[in-house]
Amino acid sequence: MIIGIGMSDPFLVGMITLGLLLLLIVLGVRVVFAAAIVGLLGLVELRGWGPAAGIVGTVPHSKSSAYALSVLPMFIFIGFLAFHAGMTQQLFDAARKWLGWMPGGLAVATVFATAGFAAVSGASTATAAVFSRVAIPEMLKYGYDRRMAAGVVASAGTLATLIPPSAILVIYAIIVEQSVGKLLLAGFLPGIFSAFVYAGIIVVWAMIKPGSAPSVRGFTWGERMRTLPGISPILLVVVIIMTAIYGGWATPTEAGALGAFVVFVLAILRGTHLKSIKDSLMESAKLTVMIFSLIWGVLIFVRFLGFSGIPGAFTEWIVGLDVSPMTIMICILLAYAVLGMFMDAIGMLLLTLPVVYPAVIALGFDPIWFGIIAVKMAEVCLITPPIGLNCFVVNGVRPDIPLGTVFRGVALFFVADVITIAALLMFPEIVTWLPNFDFAAWWDGLWAATS
Amino acid sequence: MATPHQTQPGLLSRLNKGLIPVEDTANLLAAAAIMALMFLGVLQVLLRTVFNSPIDGYIDLVELSMASMAFLGAAYTQRMGSHIRMELLMSRLHGRALWAVEAFGAAVAMFVIGVLIYYSYGHFLRAYTLGDTTIDAEYVTWPSKLLVPVAFAIWWGRLALQFFGALRLVVNPHRDTVAVVVMKDVAEQAQDEIHEVMGDDADLADPGTDPGDTP
Repeated sequence: MIIGIGMSDPFLVGMITLGLLLLLIVLGVRVVFAAAIVGLLGLVELRGWGPAAGIVGTVPHSKSSAYALSVLPMFIFIGFLAFHAGMTQQLFDAARKWLGWMPGGLAVATVFATAGFAAVSGASTATAAVFSRVAIPEMLKYGYDRRMAAGVVASAGTLATLIPPSAILVIYAIIVEQSVGKLLLAGFLPGIFSAFVYAGIIVVWAMIKPGSAPSVRGFTWGERMRTLPGISPILLVVVIIMTAIYGGWATPTEAGALGAFVVFVLAILRGTHLKSIKDSLMESAKLTVMIFSLIWGVLIFVRFLGFSGIPGAFTEWIVGLDVSPMTIMICILLAYAVLGMFMDAIGMLLLTLPVVYPAVIALGFDPIWFGIIAVKMAEVCLITPPIGLNCFVVNGVRPDIPLGTVFRGVALFFVADVITIAALLMFPEIVTWLPNFDFAAWWDGLWAATS
Repeated sequence: MATPHQTQPGLLSRLNKGLIPVEDTANLLAAAAIMALMFLGVLQVLLRTVFNSPIDGYIDLVELSMASMAFLGAAYTQRMGSHIRMELLMSRLHGRALWAVEAFGAAVAMFVIGVLIYYSYGHFLRAYTLGDTTIDAEYVTWPSKLLVPVAFAIWWGRLALQFFGALRLVVNPHRDTVAVVVMKDVAEQAQDEIHEVMGDDADLADPGTDPGDTP
């Protein structure tokens, strides 16, 4: 331990504590404790016990009671409630009737039903779980290849983290001090874009092997229209959250509260048991405390990191490298892909951003864009070995589909994700256009043109 | 969370049984705060947009209430093993080595949380003696600040149980697990995720035959 050995060089103390942090995390110490103890010890070394512990003692309360963070419990609650409000079945039914005619129609419908559900949920694995129940039996009934049926469900679950409401994007925004609203808006188009790439690759596959993913026809327009009222609450939540952020008529927290209320009323109307609502609340409280603990734990560490000068030195080193910024970006993303295999996406981002983010910005990348691409990268890890939690979830709901089959099934969608990430790298506008779009000016222009 | 299966419940097991309802209640209070935040938000939008009279000090109220959501469930979450960590190394360990690493992790946590209890109590005490209030609506801040040491004290209790639970297994790895988190592999984690969203009453109608139905 370094306490009391009188090191005065902040940089050296910083490097030693970074090593210690790494060691503790590898040893399996929970991230909140590892980050907090390393931050505390580092501060003690630089400032002495009294002042250091005094600073550290105020961090949990002061950092957790920021208004911007209050959107998190709301978004988390919407997600848990949405599963109990039973909207997944109606979404899939609507998507099936509207999109079933396409090659691989049921798989395409699964992608868009999941994308729709992502509008009320930010939880990737949970989304994969419910759609395993709803979509896989239907696909198998129509003779879909088991790899395709399982793969599409596991992969499409990952859309939930990009399409708002997304807790991870809120956390990113707060840690790097960017607008929460902008980050949420920025996730929308890449989420939809990902869905279209998934759908595109399914259609191509189904055209090459028509027997493995047949289309489902014969629905009348009347039948299609009748599916719309069932999915309208989701549309309402999307409209509330998007217009609140764009138009500024409510803060993200208020929009989240309204969204949660809509889903809550829907859950009550559908006769959801009180116990299910209580369970949703208990799960929401658990996830909320997990995320808040991570945030203040990491912020104690960040408090010390600021004194150490390490982020500055890292940035200087990165900028001084004789390599193109894009090459460095690709290296960072690959490092995230490897890290993401062993650690939860939120923990991974929180731990690395304090050092990585300033360097990324110094290289000239857009802060909003980087957030989206880093989150997308972390999501890909949910479908790749060795962990690939989404694949395990599909296998858990459908033990009759072996894990190997699920992993083989997601290979196709892994290709789709590589295409999406390449597109986001080449055309950052997919991310940055929507958050920078001046809706008010466009609206005024429209008025001027019509009057 | 391991369920104690002992013929004669020891002290650890009894303390564990005593702490569980405290943790559950604290988490339930946090859950109630989330519910209240939802209703407060709806009310605020309604009053502001329809009646043009927003709630006085809404933001202050939200900020003060956040301590309940951020901290009260900490011990409950610890008991469930839901504070994240990297299990790369631990998943390869068995028996004594595993429990030694678990005990080490709990000891680190007890130290940090112990320090935080003491100094966050100081943070509360200053607010209390100075009569600190929020800037806008002038609500007193000490009740919110007091939640940190209170919630952390329960958390510390849970950590201490986990520490002694792990030490006991270092001494004899063949004893029943009491008050420790039994690590789960990915397949078991997947089952947890499924149960979290589907619960006992997954209200999803099954369109086809589903031999893989989970309970």
